[in-house]
Amino acid sequence: MRIFRLLLAAVCLLLAFQPVNAGDLLPAEQSIDRAINHYVQELLQKDHLQPAALADDATIIRRLTLDLVGRIPTPAETQAYVDSKDSNKKIQLVDHLMASPGFIRHQAAQFDAMMAPTGNPGSGRLSAYFNEALKANKSWKQIFQDLLLPNENDPKQKGSIEFLKARVSDLDRLTIDVSVLFFGVNVSCAQCHNHPLVQDWKQDHFYGMKSFFIRTVDNGGTIAEKEFGQLKFKPNKGSEKPATPLFLSGDKIELANFREPTSEEQKKDKERLEKNKANKTAPTPPAVSARAKLFEVALKPGNSQFFNKAIVNRLWHRFFGYGLVTPLDQMHSENPPNHPDLLEWLARDMVGHNYDLKRLIRGIVLSEPYARSSQYAGTAPPDPKYFAVARLKALTPMQYAVSLKIATTDPASFEKQKPEALEKKIEQLEGAARGFASLIAMPSDDFQIGVNEALLFSNNGRVVGDFLGEGQGTLIARMMGSPDSKQAIELAVRSIFCRPATNEEIQLFADYLQKRTDRSKEAYRQLVWAMISSAELRFNY
Amino acid sequence: MRKTYCGSHEHGYNRRAFLGGALAAGAAAFTDMTQLNSLAHSAMAGELKKQQKRVIMLWLAGGASQLETFDPKPGASTGGPFRSIQTDIPGVRISELMPKMAQRLKHTCIIRSLDTKNGDHGSGAQLMMRGRRNEATINYPDLGAILAREMGRADSKVPDYVSFYTQTEGRGAAPGDPGFLGSRYAPMELTASMMPENLKMLNGITELDHQQRADLRELISKKFSKDRTSVTLGSHNEAYQRVRGLMASEKLFDINQESQSVRDKYGPTQFGEQALVARRLVEAGVPFVRVGRAWWDSHGQNFETHQEMVPELDHVMATLIDDLKERGLLENTMIITLSEFGRTPGINASLGRDHFASAWSTTLTGCGIKGGVCYGKSDAKGERVVEGAMDAGSLFATIYRALGIDPQKEYFIGDRPVPLVNPGVKEVETLLT
Repeated sequence: MRIFRLLLAAVCLLLAFQPVNAGDLLPAEQSIDRAINHYVQELLQKDHLQPAALADDATIIRRLTLDLVGRIPTPAETQAYVDSKDSNKKIQLVDHLMASPGFIRHQAAQFDAMMAPTGNPGSGRLSAYFNEALKANKSWKQIFQDLLLPNENDPKQKGSIEFLKARVSDLDRLTIDVSVLFFGVNVSCAQCHNHPLVQDWKQDHFYGMKSFFIRTVDNGGTIAEKEFGQLKFKPNKGSEKPATPLFLSGDKIELANFREPTSEEQKKDKERLEKNKANKTAPTPPAVSARAKLFEVALKPGNSQFFNKAIVNRLWHRFFGYGLVTPLDQMHSENPPNHPDLLEWLARDMVGHNYDLKRLIRGIVLSEPYARSSQYAGTAPPDPKYFAVARLKALTPMQYAVSLKIATTDPASFEKQKPEALEKKIEQLEGAARGFASLIAMPSDDFQIGVNEALLFSNNGRVVGDFLGEGQGTLIARMMGSPDSKQAIELAVRSIFCRPATNEEIQLFADYLQKRTDRSKEAYRQLVWAMISSAELRFNY
Repeated sequence: MRKTYCGSHEHGYNRRAFLGGALAAGAAAFTDMTQLNSLAHSAMAGELKKQQKRVIMLWLAGGASQLETFDPKPGASTGGPFRSIQTDIPGVRISELMPKMAQRLKHTCIIRSLDTKNGDHGSGAQLMMRGRRNEATINYPDLGAILAREMGRADSKVPDYVSFYTQTEGRGAAPGDPGFLGSRYAPMELTASMMPENLKMLNGITELDHQQRADLRELISKKFSKDRTSVTLGSHNEAYQRVRGLMASEKLFDINQESQSVRDKYGPTQFGEQALVARRLVEAGVPFVRVGRAWWDSHGQNFETHQEMVPELDHVMATLIDDLKERGLLENTMIITLSEFGRTPGINASLGRDHFASAWSTTLTGCGIKGGVCYGKSDAKGERVVEGAMDAGSLFATIYRALGIDPQKEYFIGDRPVPLVNPGVKEVETLLT
């Protein structure tokens, strides 16, 4: 085992990062969804694998609405989509959802969670910034710049400073998080390789990257950068030495003032920062900013592979629940993608269209692999890396709480409304859902739902109060007002599961209600409870 | 070039499908090397053996003083006013504040040589609950979560990990934390009451309807699960399957179920009552219970604080040992006393002792640990370790080993192997039976 690892590690060093030859890729003018279809299908055929069937319309609108705007669709929305005979209806739906304020809110929450330091999912600190950034359809490159080089005097960037603020007291974390989040590489990850060469490799890279942040300081609540400063470290072998600023690609960077300042210089620099602090103004930037240098270097041709592929992989993972490269922070030659050409093509498209996030999102959700069913009958499904079958995604706390709200509201209250009024109502429901969302855990890859959630649903009054009320405007009130139990059941299934009830369900639920005619109100409540706590509402499938 | 690690994602995935999740409750991301390795001794036998192991941790929050407990220095300038007394281990003396434990050290191993280098409440507590520091991108599971995963069972009718922390001081600094194992292994935390949340049925539903409503839920979910494969989906169904059993475990938290004579033994203090609940829980098969007792942070009036709190610790710990022994549980249950750090030998101007992580004490009792042992040594004033220095890592490796768990066992985050203790960390063999 160990000996293999050593070999691997050695090979790892010899393998340069080999991009696919651009000449062999599909033409750049191909649409994104077609490129995805092509490459995913190609590999399935090559390996003689059968993908799942395409999902039906009801599943597709549910999936798209959850993924794009963070909630299940209302029964009316589902009905309209399923009934539509328009051959372009999916494209229209996607464009409609992506143009709605809900899209901004949900994607901002997703980016906020993505940017949270390990262990505190979705602090909400960056939500405000991402809301504004997505509203303006800022490019990923611009967002990276805002977060790395925040300008507090620019109202359009409000809140972007939070990324550095959350990490400025721990520059190791800042170094690692920037590498992981923006470049898809975890510079602290080589621990399992005990190869002395790799240790050196790791250290040089780590301290090389950290060199870009070494001058970053908290200056009385704002983030400032000193004019000077050099990082020294003690390698595993040998004595302490200064680090060389180094990008992940191995590109060594000449950094002005990468030395210890003279006492005169230091004094002057200190005065500059003290003045900022005293005036409570945003810090005046240094003559040469190391962080600005990193931004420049990271986007240089030859180096930008890391940046380009990392965002493609992150967005792919957001919608497929599984990366083109897994785990997301291990994008290196030892862990190649299953579809290298596809990753290459999408990264090229990203650059070619000025890092337009919406463009890639739209391309992904219009692709065929995204539209596959999550059911795979008969044999074991192909490995997730083939994207042959849709992956179940546990809802985020907010998705779950808002969906629970929509599911248990009288469907009539979403009907015959102007789009603005409906949007307002949804936003109100989101506000009302926040409290409950705080009781649910944020899912991660291969997330396991704990018993605390099941106990909460089973025995906590809040579930009853928030979702099982029978007052005006609730689903249960509406069910109790139905002419017969069959209609009540059909209503509940449409509202909670976003699809028509099956005969089997109608039979089963009618039996349940039939046995409890002496306490029919409770019976309805129990029925709704069983549905909202079941797996079908818990997942985006 | 073939990938050489097993435990890759696809391995775990198929293995899970094959096992149906019956034996291994963990996520595919955290596959278990030993079960894939045909050369390892029978995983089944190991599992069954481990099933019986339990841990009760008495968490002395804020930092109990080693000088007023297990490593007194009477007569030294740092010694403070209390004397030491002879114990049932020849040549070993502990503080006079612990007369009951002085008669029971034959069951206990005292470690006087912890050097853990972290004197901060928050990160110190994190370190001593995990046996290592979190990394920037890895939030490690704590001891309770790892034992829940190693010794709990997917279909268990009792909780896997229970944590009492009733006082408010320092509670936020040392929460139970499943780290990357995720909420499946999160503790059942008891802060405000002796009874966990959400175990009792609400008014307005009968026992029968509660059961049948749950059956209906399961039926609907089963239908949904047809032809779908997902670790998370499996865990969702498992979580709900455990609800009824856990509700039945409610009486474990109710000390009124114990005879008055047993309750009298533990005494009327909250700490005593929670220790009694902990015993009830481990007896019923809960792998890990932590009983937090705060607040030992005696920067001022160190001696009054310890005069008040140490006798209670002495009593509770001694009672727990007697009770477990009487029930035949001591050989499979380990009692750990641990803080985030100890206290300075130097006495400050407020007659207090400050944070100190360079030479302090902990104890291990029962399950796989040699009793009657006093390991390691601090110097005459208690300022540094002069013999058998131990850090958090080797303490944890020793605990795992005593419980029959291989400390080098690996979990996987994606394809990155993460052993239970950091590479190179070794247990202290001489403490093991």
